[in-house]
Amino acid sequence: MPRAHIAAVGAALLAAASAPPPASAQTPAPMPYETTVARVVTCAACHGVNGNSKSDAMPIIAGMDVGYFKKQVQAYAANARPSPEMGPYAKQILDIGLDAVAGHFAAQRMEPTPLKVDAAAVQRGRAAAAPCVVCHGANGKGDPAKGIPSLAGQPPGYLRDQIRLFRQDARNPGDAALAALKALMKTLPEAQDADLAAYYSTLR
Amino acid sequence: MRKLTRRTFLRASGAGAVGAALAGGLAGCASTMGETQPTSRRRVVVIGGGWGGATAAKYVRLGDPRIDVVLLEPNRQFISCPFSNLVLAGLRSLDSLSFGYDGLRQRGVTVRHETALAIEPDTKRVRLASGYLAYDRLIVSPGVDFLWDQVEGLPAARDTVLHAWKAGPQTVELARQIQAMPDGGVFVLTVPPVAYRCPPGPYERISMVAWYLKAQKPRAKVLVLDANPNIVSKTALFREAWKAYPNIEYRATNRVIAVDPGAKAVRTEFDRITYDVLNLIPPQRAGQIAVDADLVGADKRWCEVSHVTYESVKAPGVHVVGDATTGLPVPKSGNVANNMGKIAAIAAVSLLNDKPVPSVAPGNTCYSWVSDREAIAVVNAYKIENGKVVQIEQRLTPAQSPAVAARAVGWTQSIWQDVVG
Repeated sequence: MPRAHIAAVGAALLAAASAPPPASAQTPAPMPYETTVARVVTCAACHGVNGNSKSDAMPIIAGMDVGYFKKQVQAYAANARPSPEMGPYAKQILDIGLDAVAGHFAAQRMEPTPLKVDAAAVQRGRAAAAPCVVCHGANGKGDPAKGIPSLAGQPPGYLRDQIRLFRQDARNPGDAALAALKALMKTLPEAQDADLAAYYSTLR
Repeated sequence: MRKLTRRTFLRASGAGAVGAALAGGLAGCASTMGETQPTSRRRVVVIGGGWGGATAAKYVRLGDPRIDVVLLEPNRQFISCPFSNLVLAGLRSLDSLSFGYDGLRQRGVTVRHETALAIEPDTKRVRLASGYLAYDRLIVSPGVDFLWDQVEGLPAARDTVLHAWKAGPQTVELARQIQAMPDGGVFVLTVPPVAYRCPPGPYERISMVAWYLKAQKPRAKVLVLDANPNIVSKTALFREAWKAYPNIEYRATNRVIAVDPGAKAVRTEFDRITYDVLNLIPPQRAGQIAVDADLVGADKRWCEVSHVTYESVKAPGVHVVGDATTGLPVPKSGNVANNMGKIAAIAAVSLLNDKPVPSVAPGNTCYSWVSDREAIAVVNAYKIENGKVVQIEQRLTPAQSPAVAARAVGWTQSIWQDVVG
């Protein structure tokens, strides 16, 4: 485990001494550089090796549903989902080949966030999650056929940030398909965001 | 001092036949100082364990564990330059930016804390104090060194006039001097002419020191002497952020030409300015080994490379990555160096296995802090077109915000692990 764990992120943003965890003891299979792997290897700078982000702010894209992945990249590239980081990089993905990149990350085994969260927050989040379950399911895994993403095991910071963006209509602003979701977010008290995020980060 | 490489030696000796004969003699003389780490496997040697080199060493091993990888890095710790400006404001400790190389060792990289003395591309050897290391491919991540001679008085004062442009003891010392500065004191920071490591770095540093002084020493001043005609990077965002810091006096096109530490004064083409604390960031070039090995171009400063393999245009089999490179439309940033390290590793692994080298474009994600809780960012996406790196788009954050700061922290968590984890 890392000598100073990254769990301190959040409130103690700047105090956090975030050391990189050492490599695992097992020898992984060689990365096949003759495939799409080579062309997306730069994504690891933010999203971790094979898309398994260990950071609080960047989502885990390993194991992400192909349809959801493609829809988000297209939304980023068209600035429908505004992001200073992913706007340009989405265009880079389109240059590499969206199908290949989406397929590559979908084929990776997702490792849920290693960030530890407060058990009491998880309890409160579970109790508050009733409205979310309707779409995202009891296990938080969503419904790929309906384009509803899995929230399970994503980093709490990322989840909290998305709740905020939906509530402010800053994620896919004006998107009619998300109107009901955003209306719901507006009814949820902001003080609950961290609890919901903590809860969904622990689902497997 | 310029080291005599076999390459320059041969060139100096003139005729190839004479050179070959002398080389034979050299090989004989080297027999007492021979191969320091014999291996029957193919080997990649990496010089420099910073953002580019550490990443390259790791990604060669990830791509082909049959390849022997030796990383030469004199320092025992990787210390991140990104986020080191926060140390100057007392917001982070240098320890929190410092990591050992055990993560790379666990991946099978042999990390040797030694200095590469010379590169011999013709015999594919790197010379060390203890002998040499033979390689099949060499990846050089030399970082930057300083052009001391360009500022009068600086060569004699290079150990006392602080640059703090390589995170480490100088960062801690500069933080101490700023903290010890009297209220009402003048902190002078000089920005070198482009190109230099980390284009927004000086302006983030100015923001951090101004934030600290505003809170702690409200009568103190930050005086910026910028050799460039304007803020080099994230210009409008820094200008906006500095509205909160009336203690910053920014002077464009003010190149420092002399320093007199005894009188605590610097001179520009226009003025003589006295300071209480000085941070003089000197003009820069590729790290010394790149100059010694003649990997730099006619400007004697930077290394031209293939945009696909990062192989030097001057030395076959030698890849150069990171801040030392030139000719690509990318900034000299840690994120770019990390990306170049990976791409060079992929090229080296592909070439050693007689496979085609894939065309992989880098990317740049670059955050700058402007206060204790807010940051800004610039992102550049690229593609490869006709064998050259071409920018697809550059985008800036619309404004400074705590959300960007949170993503900056997230970026460090991911990329530090990507480099040395």
